[in-house]
Amino acid sequence: MIARACVVGAGVMGSGIAAQIANAGVPVLLLDIVPKDAADRSAIAKGAIDKLLKADPAPLMSRSAAKLITPGNTEDDLGQLADVDWIVEAIIERADLKQDLYRKLEGRRKTGSIVSSNTSTIPLAQLTAGLPDSFARDFCITHFFNPPRYMRLLEVVGGPKTRADAIETIAAFGDVMLGKTIVRAKDTPGFVANRIGVYWMQAAVTAALDLGLTVEEADSIMGRPIGAPKTGIFGLLDLVGLDLMPHVDQSMAASLKPDDPYVKLRREWPLLTRMIAEGYTGRKGKGGFYRLNTEGGQRVKESIDLKTGAYAPSRDARLDSADAAKSGLKTLVSHQDKGGRYAWSVLSRLLCYAASLVPEIADDILAVDQAMKTGFNFKRGPFEMIDQMGATWFVERLRAEKMAIPPLLDGAAEAGGFYRVDDGRLNYLGTDGAYHPVRRPEGVLLLSDIKLGAKPILRNGSASLWDIGDGVACLEFHSKMNALDADSLALMKQALDHVGKNMKALVIHNEAENFSVGANVGLALFAANVGLWPMIDDLIGQGQAVMKAVKYAPFPVVAAPSGMALGGGCETVLHAGAVQAHAETYIGLVEVGVGVVPGWGGCKEMLVRNQPGPRDAKGPMPPVMQAFETISLAKVAKSAAEAKELKFLRPGDGITMNRDRLLADAKARALKLVAEGYRPPFPPELRLPGPAGRTGLNLAVHGFALQGKAKPHDVVVSDALAEVLSGGRTDHTETVTEDHVTKLERAAFMKLVKTDATLARMEHMLTTGKPLRN
Amino acid sequence: MSKAVIAGYVRSPFHFAGKGALTKVRPDDLAATVVKGLIQKTGVKPDDIEDLILGCAFPEGEQGLNVARLIGLIAGLPQSVAGATLNRFCGSSMQGIHMAAGAIAMGAGQAFICAGLESMTRVPMMGFNPMPNPALAEKMKGAYMSMGETAENVARKYQIGRKEQEEFAVRSHRLATAARQAGKFTNEIIPIEAGKEKVVSDGCIREETSLEALAGLKPAFDETGTVTAGTSSPLTDGASACLVTSEDYAKANGLKVLARIKSSAVVGCAPEIMGIGPVAATERALKRAGLTIKDIDIIELNEAFSSQAIACMRDLKIDLDKTNIDGGAIALGHPLGATGARITGKAAALLQRESKQFALATQCIGGGQGIATILEAA
Repeated sequence: MIARACVVGAGVMGSGIAAQIANAGVPVLLLDIVPKDAADRSAIAKGAIDKLLKADPAPLMSRSAAKLITPGNTEDDLGQLADVDWIVEAIIERADLKQDLYRKLEGRRKTGSIVSSNTSTIPLAQLTAGLPDSFARDFCITHFFNPPRYMRLLEVVGGPKTRADAIETIAAFGDVMLGKTIVRAKDTPGFVANRIGVYWMQAAVTAALDLGLTVEEADSIMGRPIGAPKTGIFGLLDLVGLDLMPHVDQSMAASLKPDDPYVKLRREWPLLTRMIAEGYTGRKGKGGFYRLNTEGGQRVKESIDLKTGAYAPSRDARLDSADAAKSGLKTLVSHQDKGGRYAWSVLSRLLCYAASLVPEIADDILAVDQAMKTGFNFKRGPFEMIDQMGATWFVERLRAEKMAIPPLLDGAAEAGGFYRVDDGRLNYLGTDGAYHPVRRPEGVLLLSDIKLGAKPILRNGSASLWDIGDGVACLEFHSKMNALDADSLALMKQALDHVGKNMKALVIHNEAENFSVGANVGLALFAANVGLWPMIDDLIGQGQAVMKAVKYAPFPVVAAPSGMALGGGCETVLHAGAVQAHAETYIGLVEVGVGVVPGWGGCKEMLVRNQPGPRDAKGPMPPVMQAFETISLAKVAKSAAEAKELKFLRPGDGITMNRDRLLADAKARALKLVAEGYRPPFPPELRLPGPAGRTGLNLAVHGFALQGKAKPHDVVVSDALAEVLSGGRTDHTETVTEDHVTKLERAAFMKLVKTDATLARMEHMLTTGKPLRN
Repeated sequence: MSKAVIAGYVRSPFHFAGKGALTKVRPDDLAATVVKGLIQKTGVKPDDIEDLILGCAFPEGEQGLNVARLIGLIAGLPQSVAGATLNRFCGSSMQGIHMAAGAIAMGAGQAFICAGLESMTRVPMMGFNPMPNPALAEKMKGAYMSMGETAENVARKYQIGRKEQEEFAVRSHRLATAARQAGKFTNEIIPIEAGKEKVVSDGCIREETSLEALAGLKPAFDETGTVTAGTSSPLTDGASACLVTSEDYAKANGLKVLARIKSSAVVGCAPEIMGIGPVAATERALKRAGLTIKDIDIIELNEAFSSQAIACMRDLKIDLDKTNIDGGAIALGHPLGATGARITGKAAALLQRESKQFALATQCIGGGQGIATILEAA
């Protein structure tokens, strides 16, 4: 049980780790050295907390989480370690300094507390050498990835003396509280993700140089087409910093055996050395392989010529193989152009290397695939990539090209792949040559696992209903980007009917990147362009009816969003009887961006949720002003914690840190509500200001328009929103029902969707992905 | 008939709303401390006070109910001292002085506390429930127009350029800085307890401001306009109070008289250029006093915005050297309801300090009004 933690080393990684511990609601002490001649002896840690509050993307899930981080220094504050259960060391990568610190900790830290290092390059054996067993027993490596809030991988490495329960405690805390995917790595150089990832980067650079690709061409292949981050290789180097590479390379080379393929692959790269020397260290410096040239007043994106080192305006790569990748990895690597040859050159070496490293770096292929997916944001792990091409085909081609084939890969080719589904269960190929079922940690329930062994109860093109056991159903959206359309609504309605008759509770959840980006704007635009107004009006009416049915269902409906829940996706969450949200949920009503108002009860729900508590300002306007501000500015919460502040989530709604645990938590919540005798909420009555409120809000908008902060159509959309939120022609001596407000929403939506400026916004959003300011 | 006199003036330090040192201080507590300070400083017998008249532009929330009465109770005034809250927006507490003078003239009391108050932190401008009359808002845009927009209108109508506005603002900060450094505010400021801290000095004055710094600001209200945050008075927390008594009472009780109230006036004008309100009000008050602007030695012209202050000076042919010689609201701050008592009390105090004969205090008022007071050395 970890009730308090301490991070020593307040650099980017240390403070980021402290932030994530605070995000989990656990108090954490953040220590660094006392700077020379400093008036404030804890200035470094304090400065780090200030930076956490300003950094973008935000390391903290809410500003209040910063209050859980107590700054201090390693000279005055080690006494506080008596209360600390876990100490994370994240200081400079020097074994001697780390060991000095560990010696200082001994005798001061709580008995049985755990010490871990965030080292990425120093072996555990070296860190514990010469230290007493009492220390080694409590010591392990916890290797976070940057930035710690957003990168899901946490590699945990124990030594021969490490207590098993210490590893279990850290793994459990990292998984449940910090939301990390735990990969148990062995004490080998680079552990798992960096060992393979750094090889990938080196191979991607080397092959690009050898095959004579431009940086754009290389990146057009080495990104999305192979399932890597969209930056590709050179864009990624710019992002992480060019100066980091020589350090990583040298430390890998120094610690690997001389016959390791990495050591053979690496070579001098004078261009990189020169670029670093000249300050071209990437985005943090003057630029890198790409740069923005602002000379002459214009912003011109340029890229470097890998042969000459000269910059020239960047030119989009046009390789047929990049398009061919859409039909699969095999098509890509089989393509005859230089992009296809490049992909094959990198992947053939990378995947063989990965296959040669199990069980040296980790017990099984699962760990390797997990590590690459969560530590390098690969869409698929190396073994999943091989399976996608076909292990047999892959090995045959390797053999034809006379490349060495690692035994594990050979075995997979014979057996027919690294993974297979038996009796609806996913199995993986072990190093013993046999298939073993993939076991999920307790409390992890994945829809993808359920889907392997079952047929949906209901299904159409946009959504499905699954039985997830114990009388609970899961409604899954699966349209493109999970945009909601008539089919999504129809299936929601059917799901409610089905669960009402046959089951106990409903969870709304999916495993896509985003819960839902909102209603399908393309459909609305299409209908508007051909004047199908009744179709749009009908879609609003249907949506309102379904949302109302969700809210007043006689059984628990638990929304379990992760990623973006925008517009109609947000409205789905708002109407659920309970919410179990992933901590990384980004909720907002962004309809004004496409020139309309929330039409499926979003305006109404924000009014209901902003009704004043006993300590809030009274009168009809405060809830209206609050809802108006949130909706008219299209505010999007940048975490589930922030969603509570913005009232998209209620105080009692649950937050799950680990996405893999979300469905199980939501299901448990639904069953708990069933056990408690769930009753739907009582329909509220609202007291709204009427026309005077609309006038008041419009006065404020007029001021923003004068300032240039609101564009002409913002004024129109805001007025429609103001009319809805102020209750139309009501008076504050009267009360209105929820239906009264949703009727106003529908009328306002229809009024706006008939304006050219709204249609221009929709079109712009569909073509550029960005809101039009007109 | 006994003339009304100003026999004391104090104020709290003025601080930025939302971020200054007074954000956590309840407005009623703030004003009560100032009222207690006034009584202590003047030595007036509390039992003799007829009424506590308090001006406040947004009398709701913590400034709500009849906050003047509550402030009297918090300050420990005798229960016999009455209390009335009045609202003429920015002219509120100057209006309180006029009411007291009127009451004294009709023999309806001998001593009055005329206070003013605004916590723009704790009660927002427009209040908690802005519910304007839709029909009026439709018919007459100026009725609810934001003050910034009216300042732009005045700047356009009078063709007052940005540079001229900024020079005026820098002057205000320079004079306020000099006055503070010379200790000229010490006498008028009542320290305020804010939590564990004691606030003794103003918080809005920007000693280092310059034309260059102001030139870099974006227009605050109209992207095509000339008025910036630097040429507007800031949102401010503060309170002020004057002791107004009959001249006879002051003499009989040995009170130190700062000035005699010679005349006063209020007058309406077009709401969309409310900033020129002081022009008509001053002309009317001068006429009632039988004086011309040339006779006036000391002028306190409220600086709601540089643009309106400059426009008023132009129309009234006011001599800049006589005006706001310790700085004005652009530097000191403008807690709406508190400003009237501040500038009237300040004008009276300056008559004393500078040994001059006549003073003018005047200000513009949102919605389109002006208010003015002429003082004479006692």
